[in-house]
Amino acid sequence: MKITVNEVEKEIQPSSIEQFLKDIDSPIKGSALAINGVIISRVQWPNYQLQENDSLSLFQVIAGG
Amino acid sequence: MNKDALIIADHAFTSRLFTGTGKYNEQQTMLASLQASGSELVTMALKRVDMQTKNDDILAPLIKNKMKLLPNTSGARNAKEAIFAAQLAREALQTNWLKLEIHPDPKYLLPDPVETLIAAETLVKEGFIVLPYMHADPVLAKKLEDIGCAAVMPLGAPIGSNKGIQTADFLAIIIEQANIPVIVDAGIGAPSHAALAMEMGADAVLINTAMAVALDPVAMSRAFAKAVQAGREAYLAGLGSQSQHAISSSPLTAFLEEFA
Repeated sequence: MKITVNEVEKEIQPSSIEQFLKDIDSPIKGSALAINGVIISRVQWPNYQLQENDSLSLFQVIAGG
Repeated sequence: MNKDALIIADHAFTSRLFTGTGKYNEQQTMLASLQASGSELVTMALKRVDMQTKNDDILAPLIKNKMKLLPNTSGARNAKEAIFAAQLAREALQTNWLKLEIHPDPKYLLPDPVETLIAAETLVKEGFIVLPYMHADPVLAKKLEDIGCAAVMPLGAPIGSNKGIQTADFLAIIIEQANIPVIVDAGIGAPSHAALAMEMGADAVLINTAMAVALDPVAMSRAFAKAVQAGREAYLAGLGSQSQHAISSSPLTAFLEEFA
């Protein structure tokens, strides 16, 4: 199925958020995620199933002052 | 237990030097600098992941060194964006501590007082420990305190400018009136600036650029640690008052009169 992650289109197998992040080798710690503009709490990631055409916004902590 | 601990929202800090993690050339230098500074609270930012590139893992070594993390909302141009950034930061770092910063103008990066107050009010209600970056405006500082901010972070000069404490008179009013900690943030470019802020009675300072861009960031971090400590001790010791005219330190006059 097709989803977009930070405006990049991706073809993925049906999966949970957590599984998807593991598949793309993206760290869990220090990350935050919104789907279609709604922030999804990290505790929901293992069970939250991604849907066709979901638009993911993925954020990560970086150095800053 | 340190008798002079700084308490912010029930958390005790031994070091009154807070630090940022930005602008370092290498992560190793950043970590060594933070350690040399003795800092217990470090700021971090959040960004949208670029799917093409890989980011360094900045988090693990900071957690390992038992640093308390203070995510900021840098990049937010209004209250709505800052609230969204705050909620993301809370998820990313699993902390409700937040450095609220809203600076829509990229040239001077001056904090927007109206949007900051609006965002702070909402975030406090949502359970965030809000430390707002603000101009050295005593009226705003009072309002931010009244709505429940855990501390205020007035600027000494624009972010990254290294120009020092250009807002001294207004910082003094903020410090005099505040019932919450005052952390002087932004513009501090030299250890002497940090010492001045502490001598004035600031509860802490936050330094990033001045350490990160120094020729030797680790040595500079040590220098800042000493300056903050010296400034704090001087404040506690009670500075003498200033005078327009000289006041002799030695009883010279009486001695000379005997030979007249």
